[in-house]
Amino acid sequence: MSAFVMGRTVGLLVCTHCHETVRAAPGTRARCPRCGARVHERRPHSLAETAALISSAALLYVPANLLPVMHMHTFLSDEDDTIMSGVLSLIQQGSWPLALLVFVASIVVPLLKLVAMGWLLISAARRSPGHALQKARLFRLVDFVGRWSMLDVFAIALLVALVQIRALATIHVGRGALAFGAVVVLTMLAAQSFDERLLWDSHSDG
Amino acid sequence: MSSLIVCHACDLVHRRDVIPEKARVRCVRCRAELYRTNSASIDTAVALGVTAAVLLVLSNVYPLVALQLNGNVRATTLVGAAIGLYEQGYALVGALVLLTTLLVPLFQIAGLLYVLVPLRAKWRAPGRNELFRALTYLRPWAMSEVFMLGALVALVKLSALAEVIPGVSLYSYGALMLSLAALTSVTPSEQFWRWVDGEEK
Repeated sequence: MSAFVMGRTVGLLVCTHCHETVRAAPGTRARCPRCGARVHERRPHSLAETAALISSAALLYVPANLLPVMHMHTFLSDEDDTIMSGVLSLIQQGSWPLALLVFVASIVVPLLKLVAMGWLLISAARRSPGHALQKARLFRLVDFVGRWSMLDVFAIALLVALVQIRALATIHVGRGALAFGAVVVLTMLAAQSFDERLLWDSHSDG
Repeated sequence: MSSLIVCHACDLVHRRDVIPEKARVRCVRCRAELYRTNSASIDTAVALGVTAAVLLVLSNVYPLVALQLNGNVRATTLVGAAIGLYEQGYALVGALVLLTTLLVPLFQIAGLLYVLVPLRAKWRAPGRNELFRALTYLRPWAMSEVFMLGALVALVKLSALAEVIPGVSLYSYGALMLSLAALTSVTPSEQFWRWVDGEEK
């Protein structure tokens, strides 16, 4: 067996939607004959789009973690909760497994997405050939776990809706929740706009 | 069907081969799944879609959970949780919650039934291709299972403060999560288009 053959070098495109093989001259605007989706050799402006989305997400990551995501007012106390203090209060309650879950979903996963996508972008832009399989696996992991960060937003939504008992306890949304939701949405869009074939383009064999 | 397959994840060309039943075919280089041969039937997908539709209605008719504190009871539905965010001036976050927990799942279920039921009768629903492409694109945005875990976190936090009474909708939404996950796993886009190829022959 000699070197691997890439679709782009033999004039074969793949429909990224239905996985049909499409024969087309390079540079033409083709549509998949089976499902009608646009077929590109590589997704146009993939790196620029992903870079824009990831850098916006990175900026919003700061207020998402520093600003309170909710304020709780009871007859005993007034307190602001950030994402991290929410994790700490679960630990104080003794719910270790849930605290770990929230810590991973809300703090580790967004950070992993920003760092991993940043690294993949730079390495795709510089066309560095090494570790293509590891990079592809990292991308799929990021793509798969990204939605789980919404967990905290849902928990906040329920707390706000339920804890509205005047004079006893009320919970209000904090501005951090908006920034946090935006980070999740932007990083998910970034993963969707990244064309993972770019990771393999400089990797000619093996 | 072409005799060559191009990997959608790394652009490597493969020659199509005869594959035994119940196998997953992966790219030799990047290990992405190219296709599976253990295909479910359209009937299974339609059954799961109908189940999910019934559960989705139940989940929105009944309250999700109620909170009891010193004789005061407050209940909320799924939509109520999104409206609560809207009322506090966070319309965008409210819209995000409504979309990911209710509207996108609803669109997935209704859309899949709309394309699959006619396909069983070897008939092509108007707008089928465009609709199915939109469904595939929106899949990651249906977040029922994430919502269930978020609800669990909220309930544990509340149990320190007041008595929590789970509602009918909490259970039906849990079942909806399972049927939606099953529906999604039997209708990957590559499978759907093979059904289309099969029915139109």
